[in-house]
Amino acid sequence: MTELLRTEAMSVVYGGLHAVNGLDLRVDEGRLVGLIGPNGAGKTSFIDGISGFTRTQGAIYFRGKRVDREPAHRRARLGLGRTWQSLELFEDLTVRENLQVGAERQTVGGFLLDLVRPGRHRDQSDVDWALDVLGIAHLADRMPTEISHGQRKLVGAGRTLAARPALICMDEPAAGLDTTESEQFGRRLRRIVEAGVSILLVDHDMGLVMGVCDELYVIEFGTRIAHGTPAEVVADEKVRAAYLGTKAGT
Amino acid sequence: MTRPRIPAARLRAGVPALVVVALLAVILAKGDYRTNFFSGGGFALGALVAAIALGVVVTYRGSGVVNLAGAAVAMYAAYVYADLRTHGDLFLPPLPNPLAPIEGLVHLAGDDSFTVPHWPTSVSFGATMGFWPALVLALVFCALFGLVLHVAVFRPLRHAPVLAKVVASVGVLLFLQAVVVRRFSTTTQVVGPLPFVDKTQVDLGLFKITQEQLFVVCLVLVLAVALWALFQRSRFGLAVRAAAENEKGATVLGFSADRLAAATWVLSTVVTGLLGIFVASVNSSVDPNTMPALIVPAVTAALVGGFTSFGWTTLAAFALGMQVALVTFLGANESWFPKADGLPVPGVDLLVPLVVIVAVLALRGQSLPTRGVLGPGRLPFSPTARPWALRYGGPGLAVVALIPGVFFLSPAMRDGLTNTLTGIVICLSIVVLTGFIGQISLAQTSFAGLSAYTVASLSTHHGWPFPLPILAGAAVAVVAGVLVALPALRVRGVHLAIATLAFAVAVDKVVFANSWINGGFDGATVTTPALIRSQDTDTHHVLGVTIGDGTQPNPLTLVFCLIVVVALGYLVANLRRSLTGRQMLAIRSNERAAAAAGVNVAAVKVLAFGVSAFIAGVGGAVIAYRTGNVTPDKFLYDKSLMFFAFAYLGGIASVSGAVTGGLLVGGGLGFTVLNKVFGLPDEFVLLLGGLGLVVTAVLNPEGVAGKARTDLLALRRRFRPPTPADRPTPADPPTPADRPTPMDPLTPTDTATTITEPTASATTGPSAASTPAAAAAVPTAAATPTAAATPATAATPATASISAAAAVPTAAAAPTASGSAAGTHVGGSAGATPAVAGEAR
Ligand SMILES: Nc1ncnc2c1ncn2[C@@H]1O[C@H](COP(=O)(O)OP(=O)(O)O)[C@@H](O)[C@H]1O
Ligand SMILES: [Mg+2]
Repeated sequence: MTELLRTEAMSVVYGGLHAVNGLDLRVDEGRLVGLIGPNGAGKTSFIDGISGFTRTQGAIYFRGKRVDREPAHRRARLGLGRTWQSLELFEDLTVRENLQVGAERQTVGGFLLDLVRPGRHRDQSDVDWALDVLGIAHLADRMPTEISHGQRKLVGAGRTLAARPALICMDEPAAGLDTTESEQFGRRLRRIVEAGVSILLVDHDMGLVMGVCDELYVIEFGTRIAHGTPAEVVADEKVRAAYLGTKAGT
Repeated sequence: MTRPRIPAARLRAGVPALVVVALLAVILAKGDYRTNFFSGGGFALGALVAAIALGVVVTYRGSGVVNLAGAAVAMYAAYVYADLRTHGDLFLPPLPNPLAPIEGLVHLAGDDSFTVPHWPTSVSFGATMGFWPALVLALVFCALFGLVLHVAVFRPLRHAPVLAKVVASVGVLLFLQAVVVRRFSTTTQVVGPLPFVDKTQVDLGLFKITQEQLFVVCLVLVLAVALWALFQRSRFGLAVRAAAENEKGATVLGFSADRLAAATWVLSTVVTGLLGIFVASVNSSVDPNTMPALIVPAVTAALVGGFTSFGWTTLAAFALGMQVALVTFLGANESWFPKADGLPVPGVDLLVPLVVIVAVLALRGQSLPTRGVLGPGRLPFSPTARPWALRYGGPGLAVVALIPGVFFLSPAMRDGLTNTLTGIVICLSIVVLTGFIGQISLAQTSFAGLSAYTVASLSTHHGWPFPLPILAGAAVAVVAGVLVALPALRVRGVHLAIATLAFAVAVDKVVFANSWINGGFDGATVTTPALIRSQDTDTHHVLGVTIGDGTQPNPLTLVFCLIVVVALGYLVANLRRSLTGRQMLAIRSNERAAAAAGVNVAAVKVLAFGVSAFIAGVGGAVIAYRTGNVTPDKFLYDKSLMFFAFAYLGGIASVSGAVTGGLLVGGGLGFTVLNKVFGLPDEFVLLLGGLGLVVTAVLNPEGVAGKARTDLLALRRRFRPPTPADRPTPADPPTPADRPTPMDPLTPTDTATTITEPTASATTGPSAASTPAAAAAVPTAAATPTAAATPATAATPATASISAAAAVPTAAAAPTASGSAAGTHVGGSAGATPAVAGEAR
């Protein structure tokens, strides 16, 4: 399997706190990899680190290229997409425009042409595809403030997807979805992977994570405590200790 | 949390410190540098700057507002005091007489003898007033004014975006200045000396200083120490600091956050006013322009002190005040000092705050905000132009302006219309920068002025033919805009406003007051083709119609301006519809998310500054051609503030808003009508502008055009049967940057084991961090996977939810639906920390 993303001893340090502590993680093409851990384990910090939103130590390779000194937007253009734990939509743009910002790349010529003919035809196939995969095509012309929380989460994912990334890191995309929505979301994730986009999924919805992921990393205090298929992970002693510690202790 | 000192951080702190130390060493080493730096006048100026800066810090700590009107308060207090001393009058703001329209209408109907009763202009306390009563009365006035500022302006704005607060403080600044200009004109007012100190020199060894000056310096130092003690050592200060963390903090200590903010406003206006009065007395004079501009060094000093430290702020303020005399001395005596035409370049002392601001911000700023740093907040909605508006709006407006403008309007109205047109151009430049991409620039007329002087020079001294200098001028403006954009890459919100204001003030002196550039007393002539020269009174016959009635201004000047306005209007409308426009709005709402979407935030910001400066530059060039003579007064920083005010009033985020702003602008059509029909004097322009700006910021942030549009939409909705698409769902409450999410109970696919999170209590925000997490992980939680549907328990105290979680596993999964839980949780730091998770085990 071809490697897409690999981190080597990656750390994220806030002040004196090692939010991520020497983490090795690898995502291969066409895989749906889960990253789980208790609150505060450093999952969001890890995603912030690989996507360029916080300073990191160690190495990050993406598509064979070392990217840890690249600015965030360049990593996004290389195909390393991410979503946000909190809704960070562009509230002043319609759903379609939100996706367009993700999908389109500006050039100098394009900018000048825009000033004269902004309405000229643009290729919107990626936007339409993303709207379609996520089932939000009917919301295209609505404002983010007018749609439900679950739908907004999908728009957030759609914005990243519309850029046709090679890898998309999702930070708790299913938080706030009910069971049916979450199951449906799981099926959508598989469709996305089938379309050739790998996924690094961070979520607390264990039903979703266990159900859709090909492999799982479990981290605690920023370090990896387990890695394997969902079945292996569930059987792992350390994971049980981390998650069921109180029960074992009492 | 202590930050380990990495080499880069040490370098960042070390280099500026070294520079400062080196400068001080040079100053102390050279005798004449020392006497000029430590001069009495420098100390007095430093004291005033320090007082203003202290006021700025106090209000910032109390209410989070950077009060750009702080220095204007000092000036206003000095005027109140001076008027009380000399006339015994407490003058009132010259609010427009509400009966004036009646008078205007009667006059319009032909009866010129009719007059309405006069509006009171002052409260008289007798002939003259002694020092103490006048001082006390003036300070009471300051206190009341501070209270009014809090209650009427900044309390309503406490949750408003940064932009609204900046706008409101600019409005207050314009208002205060306008009131004084209206009452006392722009001439200097004499202020009597203080009774208990005089001008005897005191020799302090290192330098000599007059009694008066020594007194104000000591007073400021005492005030600084007192403020420090108040904020660091008293319960009041503790409460203010707690309130700054979160509103509940103060309540716990038995203070109301609102009262605290009010108290800090009063405190700051009184401190600033007191020193305004004393320094005016020491200088024996006060005028409406000098003191308000001191906001730039004052805010610079506050910035050095991080808007918190009274000590650093005071030190920096004194240094910034004292360097003025030194720089003047250097200009007069040193051969290496930059010269223009044999004379020292003016205003170098104003470049010092600019350099300090840029250095501080560059060292402290970040190219992208970190997690948990709140964005600028919502700005007014920016509509995309509808197809009909694009197709008919521009031509329609052009015709509406053209036909009367060319054929029917009186010369005065024609002039007003032309002012409106040039005003629209400047407003358009602000729409791009502030409306689209959310960057506040208070230097737009500086760009315009740079362009105007370029046009003057090229057209007159270098013989460039007509349209070419416009492009060259715009290019110069673009270069300046891009230069300003560079700090903007690491700075946002009010800091950017400060940096651009400092830039504008510096350009005023260094460039516009530089006789080498401004053409001296007569201004710089612009060689204009006769066809569009405003003074040209020829009539033209085109296709059987006669253009021109033999009076100035030439109607074709208006046509020229109109063409530019329509072209630039389309440029801006197109920009909004283009990908770049979408990227700008994306940056405006969320820089981090924009970067994650692959937008090169820095490049788009530079581009926006470039486009905006280009538009402003074209505007400046048009103003140059239109008047035929460039004078600095059209481009000084207060004009930038004025245009910003009117652009915001009209509607900051759309072309229609810019057009509305242009109609309102000083000298524009709106005021010409008010002036001609209702006899409203010119000084009211700024007065109404400032007042309107405050009112708009507080009551109607969408601006006039935005309001009209929402009203229209509401009206249309009323006449249409409601469809689901029409009903806006109430927006979700603001989502905290990183909400700790409770886990859902899970059902592993192939085993009966359940994995649950140890930190279930993280749902309750900051307080949870200190609570040992009740790890109520009961394997059977899997039995109730629907738990996520449990209604959110937003306000549940930490303990309650923990005990609930312990008792019933499902409760742990309660609130995720709309971010209502943990509403006060901002940033990742307050969540369940590993330490807490550790305790749980
Ligand atoms: N900007 C920040 N500054 C300081 N500490 C932070 C910051 N962001 C996160 N943290 C801390 O880093 C740790 C990991 O947080 P996070 O990555 O959000 O974990 P997760 O996403 O797994 O819940 C937490 O202890 C959190 O408090
Ligand atoms: Mg997280």
